Amino acid sequence: MAVAGSVKTALQVAEVLEAIVSRCVGPEGRQVLCTKPTGEVLLSRDGGRLLQALQLNHPVARIIVACVSSHLKKTGDGAKTFIIFLCHLLRGLRAITEKDSLIPENFQTFERRWKTCCQWKFISQALLTFQTHVLDYIMDQYLSRHFLSIFSSSAKERTLCRSSLELLLDAYFCGRVGRNNHKFISQLMCDYFFKCMTSESGTEVFELVNDCFVELNVSVTGLPVSESKIIDGLVLHRDFSVYCPADGDMRVAIVREIIQPLFSTSGSEFVLNSEAQFQTSQIWIMERTKSIMKHLLSQNVKLLLSSVKQSDLVIYYARLSGISVVDCLSSEEVSFIQRIISFSPFVFPQAYLQCEISNTALVKFCKRLILRSKRYVHLGLISTCKFVPHCIILCGPVQGLVEQHESALYGAFKMLQQLFKDFDLNYVKKVNAQSDTLSPPLYKNSRKSNQLLRICNHPIRKPYQGTGIKNNDELEKTQYLKIHSNLPVSTVELETHISFSAPKMMPTDTVQTDEIWKCLPPENKRVTDDSELIENNSTRNSITENTRIEVSYENFQVTNSAGKGSILPVKYKSLETTCISQSCCSSIPAGCVLPVGGSFEILLHYYLINYAKKCQRLEEIMVSKLIANALLGIPQILYKQKKGYDSFPQVFLRTLPTLQTDQPMINCQAGLESVIGKYHVLTSVLQCLTKILTIDLIISIKRQPSKSCEPDSEDELQY
Amino acid sequence: MALNGAEVDDFSWEPPTEAETKVLQARRERQDRISRLMGDYLLRGYRMLGETCADCGTILLQDKQRKIYCVACQELDSDVDKDNPALNAQAALSQAREHQLASATEPPLGSRLTAQPPVPRPEHCEGAAAGLKAAQGPPPPAMPPDADAVACTQTALLQKLTWASAELGSSASLETSIQLCGLIRACAEALHSLKQLQH
Repeated sequence: MAVAGSVKTALQVAEVLEAIVSRCVGPEGRQVLCTKPTGEVLLSRDGGRLLQALQLNHPVARIIVACVSSHLKKTGDGAKTFIIFLCHLLRGLRAITEKDSLIPENFQTFERRWKTCCQWKFISQALLTFQTHVLDYIMDQYLSRHFLSIFSSSAKERTLCRSSLELLLDAYFCGRVGRNNHKFISQLMCDYFFKCMTSESGTEVFELVNDCFVELNVSVTGLPVSESKIIDGLVLHRDFSVYCPADGDMRVAIVREIIQPLFSTSGSEFVLNSEAQFQTSQIWIMERTKSIMKHLLSQNVKLLLSSVKQSDLVIYYARLSGISVVDCLSSEEVSFIQRIISFSPFVFPQAYLQCEISNTALVKFCKRLILRSKRYVHLGLISTCKFVPHCIILCGPVQGLVEQHESALYGAFKMLQQLFKDFDLNYVKKVNAQSDTLSPPLYKNSRKSNQLLRICNHPIRKPYQGTGIKNNDELEKTQYLKIHSNLPVSTVELETHISFSAPKMMPTDTVQTDEIWKCLPPENKRVTDDSELIENNSTRNSITENTRIEVSYENFQVTNSAGKGSILPVKYKSLETTCISQSCCSSIPAGCVLPVGGSFEILLHYYLINYAKKCQRLEEIMVSKLIANALLGIPQILYKQKKGYDSFPQVFLRTLPTLQTDQPMINCQAGLESVIGKYHVLTSVLQCLTKILTIDLIISIKRQPSKSCEPDSEDELQY
Repeated sequence: MALNGAEVDDFSWEPPTEAETKVLQARRERQDRISRLMGDYLLRGYRMLGETCADCGTILLQDKQRKIYCVACQELDSDVDKDNPALNAQAALSQAREHQLASATEPPLGSRLTAQPPVPRPEHCEGAAAGLKAAQGPPPPAMPPDADAVACTQTALLQKLTWASAELGSSASLETSIQLCGLIRACAEALHSLKQLQH
């Protein structure tokens, strides 16, 4: 049976998914109970998990869930927002095209159907073009001045203080984990983060954690969640085959093959003529194994980690020699250990035994760990890379809850990985010198906004009034530092403020010295490295310097931001162009955050509506209006339970005037969310939508076609 | 086409009238209800199929016993069901008032009576809902399609009235009694309006 793929079908599906997901979105969201056909019950607030637990045979539903899953795999956040936003976009599209669809579909002629299909293809093309060209432009030009930074920056380096990370993670977990546990889990995550990161840690640590997250956590069922803890070192998911407690320095060796020599190697024949020969061979094997073990002991190897099962003979001699053996380790664990300690496996030469075993490493300790009824090996590693290995012991009364916490933590790591990376924006700007009226307000605003300096941390509030900062009445519970250090105009002001308040900027220094992550900014940051600045920040600087001049980035040099002393002169060359399309490169710096509660959506809505007013092209106007209206659906659901002063219309009406007069947004909610995460959700939804809109026809078949026949056409969808 | 021909279409487009807005609103609410119900069923383990219902176009669900289920047809009323005066006392009242205003002789109810759903759920009849909370009431009587509409309505109302009074006599709970009194009052008002109509 062939069904016309249309916005109507997609909207029905999306509305059903939205009805499910909207119950658990946001901090006020509740747990959703899902019963699988096998009888298992899933109680969760995690959008991705819920969507994957549903039984969906409808092809459009499966496309949507597949898009959500691939989005989550990369970013770890935003499944529910994805569905809600998609649903609102589809509603908007239906409203736009409703007047064309008054004729019921069965009465449409072929020509009309074809026209409808072309219309959807056109719309999806317009959406993609908008996403690639205009969205980046709006993010860069308008939204960027509202961004806050999770880092607190000093002259030379950026620091991440615990309270801002807590705000970010609180907001992340309170939408994902049950209400009684989310505070605890976010504290646990904060502790883990600060324990594992050293001052030179960069984003490669996140990659390591993301790749090996399974090895870095241990699940224990039957204990309350509050028993979860972080322990130093690594916990191997196996028990000792031989346990010989040892003190002091010890070395560990990793083997990937059986130590005991075999009767014959592969490819060769072993010929026995008599019983005596057999016994001689056996005795030789025993002696050989014994000498290998003795040799290991002489090298002070007290622990043998094996990825295969060692034979009883090896175990026996190891016990005699006092060497602990752990075998049947998974290859992921072995490779993880090798990554951290960086040593290579031990290969036994066939011929000569008395070789130097160079492939060993020192460990601090190695002991047995008993959690509930299971035994593990607890290794104290000496790490050579920038990651200090710690292990999370996750406890929970049932397996399902532990799994949910584990996936929430995993998602949080992915989210942090995305947050601590710069994100490149590329867009093509068509510039008309006469119509470049957008720049003057930009110039003014950037000046104004940089004079606001709000410092990160709770206890410090009063001293700022002495620095002449405006809007003192806006001091809320938590304050953040804004970084606009790429703008040369602002560097002087930034310097003075920082030098004044430097001793107060990191109050956690006095309280808890290990609670700050001081990081040297990675190579492409703009604080210290001059040459990289040029590549990343050309266009923004050009516009703020001179409203009417467009600059190509080769001719531009940027002033360094505070403190280094090597300030380069600002040079620019004016190009007299009337209407050129410039490809501009910029980036969202790492650590950009916004307050939770719909700030990103409201901001983007406002600027999209403004853009639509000034835009000339019809498609862009329609698409920007469509996206702007759909964006408001998300905060509407978040504020659904609130009434009166806190309800969404009131909040929106209060925010609008501050945006119109270009003041910074006041947000009373404590909590931060990552800008890059939100941006990723937006782009993923637009791409999913274009995929859905280009479906013309859905044909159901009973079974997969055999490989020999060619696929019919692009618009055949099978399941 | 919406995007390309927007300038042309805009000149001929008028905003919807109040009646149309009401219809659109009702349709949207119905759609919301359908989505919510479908979401509930999906969470209970039902499977969303790739086919749509032939009658109403809603996506079909399949339960664990592999039975196909359409949420809109089998659970929600159809759009016109609530206007059927044979099943709904409110509809009868509003119809009577309309006829008073328009001073028409014979209300054209024939067409609406044919649109009865096969198994109407008693709880969705607003007039009967109150009385049925405590105990299962009798199913609404099957209407012959060509009977006199006003007489049918009167018979139905009288039946409900007698039933409600019987229930009221035997009822022990305060809540139920209050609801039954409400039902009796509504039936009496409806009967009164119908009698005025006849005269």
